[in-house]
Amino acid sequence: MERTLQVLNELERDGVLGRYAIGGAMGATFYVEPLLTFDLDVFVVLPETAAGLLTLAPLYEALKARGHAEEGECVNIAGTPVQFLPAYNPLLEEALREARETLYEQTPTRVLRAEHLLAICLQTGREKDRQRVRVFREQAELNRDYLSAVLSRHGLETQWKSWTT
Amino acid sequence: MEIMDDLKPEIARLFAAKEQRRRKLAALSFPEKVRAVVRLQEMAAPVLRQRGCNVRVWTLAPPTVAAK
Repeated sequence: MERTLQVLNELERDGVLGRYAIGGAMGATFYVEPLLTFDLDVFVVLPETAAGLLTLAPLYEALKARGHAEEGECVNIAGTPVQFLPAYNPLLEEALREARETLYEQTPTRVLRAEHLLAICLQTGREKDRQRVRVFREQAELNRDYLSAVLSRHGLETQWKSWTT
Repeated sequence: MEIMDDLKPEIARLFAAKEQRRRKLAALSFPEKVRAVVRLQEMAAPVLRQRGCNVRVWTLAPPTVAAK
């Protein structure tokens, strides 16, 4: 895992990625009890191509050149299957911008804020997201004012109310 | 009904202990939590593979020992 994060940092430093942060179940695990997952969801800002397109192809090529093989939807980076998810909407763009810096062992990395992870669950809206929202409410230290502002900015207050009342 | 009433305090204690354990797990450091996730993967992988899911248990380097 540490080597995986070092590779992500190298990709960011080399400009293959604009910016990255851990999300999904592993992002949630940063704030709550460990949650079972088999892949590391990594949200990324991708540099635009000359044609103005956002594509994962150059990232996958750069990983392949470094010896990291594709495995289905993931890329195996140093023993961890990593799923790259481009920031495809304003909520994800904001979540990446405001992700918190942390250390994993000796390696710097970024994790999405708990409030953004919760908002992403509300926006995605699957049954497992509903369960994750419940776990967040029980265990995570949430900044209520910050959360309210995120939910309001991204039109998620109704969903929040329907899931929490 | 009497049996259920007798069980309730014991069940409540079990639930409370479970809740306390979950809070304790939530308070672990990030690397400790990642190690716990890998242990969960090791437990779940055989069952999932039997169901036909192709899952890979992560390989973790041993924890780094800080230099003195």
